[in-house]
Amino acid sequence: MSASKTSFISPRRIIIIAQSTITQLVRMKVFYFLLPVAALFVAIQFFNPPWYDGPEAAQPEQELQMHKNLCLGAMMLFGALFAIVSTALLIPRDIEDRTLYTILCKPVPRLDYLIGKLLGVMAVIAIAMLAMDLLLIITLKYRTDSLLAMLEPFLQQREWPQELIEKKLAEVASHGPTITLQYAVLAYFLKASVVAAIALLISTFSTSTLFTIASTTMVYIIGAAQSIAREGLFDRGGLAEDSGAIGKVLATIVSLIFPDFQLFDSIAEAATRAAAVTSQDILHLSGLSFFYLAIYVVLSWFIFSDKEF
Amino acid sequence: MSDHPAVEVRGLVKEFQTSFRGPKLRAVDHVSLSIEPGEVYGLIGPNGSGKSTTMKALLGLVKPTSGRCAIFGKDSLKVDSRNDVGFLPENPYFYKHLTGGETIKFYGKLCGMRGSNLKGRVDEMLELVGLEDARNRRLGGYSKGMLQRIGLAQALVQDPRLVVLDEPTAGVDPSGSREIRDLILTLKQRGTTVFLCSHLLEQVQEVCDKVGIINHGKMVREGRLDELISVQDRTEFVIENASPELLDQIRNLVDVTHGVDLVSEGHPRTTLESLFLQETREPPENRSGQVIAKTKKRRKSIYK
Repeated sequence: MSASKTSFISPRRIIIIAQSTITQLVRMKVFYFLLPVAALFVAIQFFNPPWYDGPEAAQPEQELQMHKNLCLGAMMLFGALFAIVSTALLIPRDIEDRTLYTILCKPVPRLDYLIGKLLGVMAVIAIAMLAMDLLLIITLKYRTDSLLAMLEPFLQQREWPQELIEKKLAEVASHGPTITLQYAVLAYFLKASVVAAIALLISTFSTSTLFTIASTTMVYIIGAAQSIAREGLFDRGGLAEDSGAIGKVLATIVSLIFPDFQLFDSIAEAATRAAAVTSQDILHLSGLSFFYLAIYVVLSWFIFSDKEF
Repeated sequence: MSDHPAVEVRGLVKEFQTSFRGPKLRAVDHVSLSIEPGEVYGLIGPNGSGKSTTMKALLGLVKPTSGRCAIFGKDSLKVDSRNDVGFLPENPYFYKHLTGGETIKFYGKLCGMRGSNLKGRVDEMLELVGLEDARNRRLGGYSKGMLQRIGLAQALVQDPRLVVLDEPTAGVDPSGSREIRDLILTLKQRGTTVFLCSHLLEQVQEVCDKVGIINHGKMVREGRLDELISVQDRTEFVIENASPELLDQIRNLVDVTHGVDLVSEGHPRTTLESLFLQETREPPENRSGQVIAKTKKRRKSIYK
């Protein structure tokens, strides 16, 4: 082998490590968790909200909202859980099993290894999200079509004007599978990716898988509650008057360290209400996610590059 | 060829912080060694003497507190230095979800190999370590000896100029141990530099050109093996078919010579390892499933 110069970062090596991570997770049979999700999505078909009075109330969109709420909630939960557990398992296990020795003793920069691992996890999350999304589309379409088929003769029977019937049908149809719903799925994928990057950062200095899982979950909870806390403490008076500039700097630092997960959830909430989500919103969210991913990868690299084995 | 030594360790010191406020533990204390291209170097020492830390520093897995390590003139802390190295850690574990073939392919790809070159190399390595039959089996089902062999295969996949082996025969049966030793000798013949770390002294003695003895983190002896172990004031003869008369003559000659003593005499013995291998090694035809009866003739041949 000739003594060639190793590039600082190599997309090819990153892809090799990412592919290996995908194979590892797939052969760990992680996709088995999709089975209970599938069962849940099918079961949701048969549930109605307790306050729902049936199509007679002429508000079937409530039924569809509940369907979307439950399915998107399950997707968010499984996405975040999967991101935390799978990322927390990978690097500590490589260190414990000394597999990392043999990888880093090849011409592999540590940054390539970290990015490869993260991309591998993200790819598996994407596959799982797509599978769940497909299930959601199928079940929601079926339920929307069934409701529309039932609603039209019902409204005609109640002698609604045709113009109003069409308006009502269009409104109900807007709660079916739409592009906004896909934005919600994308938002949850981005959220799970950011969670995976946090787990990656923690696993570079943590001494155990359990610590990584617990710490990432804590960061996740802080990130989810951050906007509520900020609103309570600063936006509505609260401590703002006392703390002034220091409080705002503190809030900025907290928002930089802990991502505001409410931003991701708000897209999904809008999708549930069939409210308009613009591509601008999605671009903004994607940019923010990329920013967090980049920050966490660089921090991970700083720690990991000096780590001794 | 490079003008630089294959391995150069100069004044290596490595200290570890044992606890938050506790004193630092010095695992390696001013160790220096140099290995020329094509040499087989054995670093020996008791457990905890600093062998593995020295190796890890050479491979960039730990950062020296002071001193410098270089591979073919390149600083060990730079990724470039690893283009020329293959490493087999002690008791290696690889991704259990990969098969033998996939494992070698993975490490080959990490070294920048691809296409038919990589495919050919994977076949070659599996043949070299005798794992062609297990190429499609996942590593989770491999024995310790098989893992050690697949470890050797991944270490050699990019045909490195330097191979670093940390206890390469740990957990391997005598037959596998012999095969690894033969492989080291083959590497030596091909001009590959080998840096071997072991506490199996007999093995080191058989394959190494140079030896370093490390204890409590310090290099206590270092040099060419034959110079280190030869007893300069003694001479040994092994004579075949000597008559009792000839032996008497030799004894008498020694007796009458002033200042010369006969220290010992006896019959040379085979080693337990040779006996074990003779009794357990199966002939090639038996490996494919045929039962071959052992013969008395085979047993006698041990002493030939």
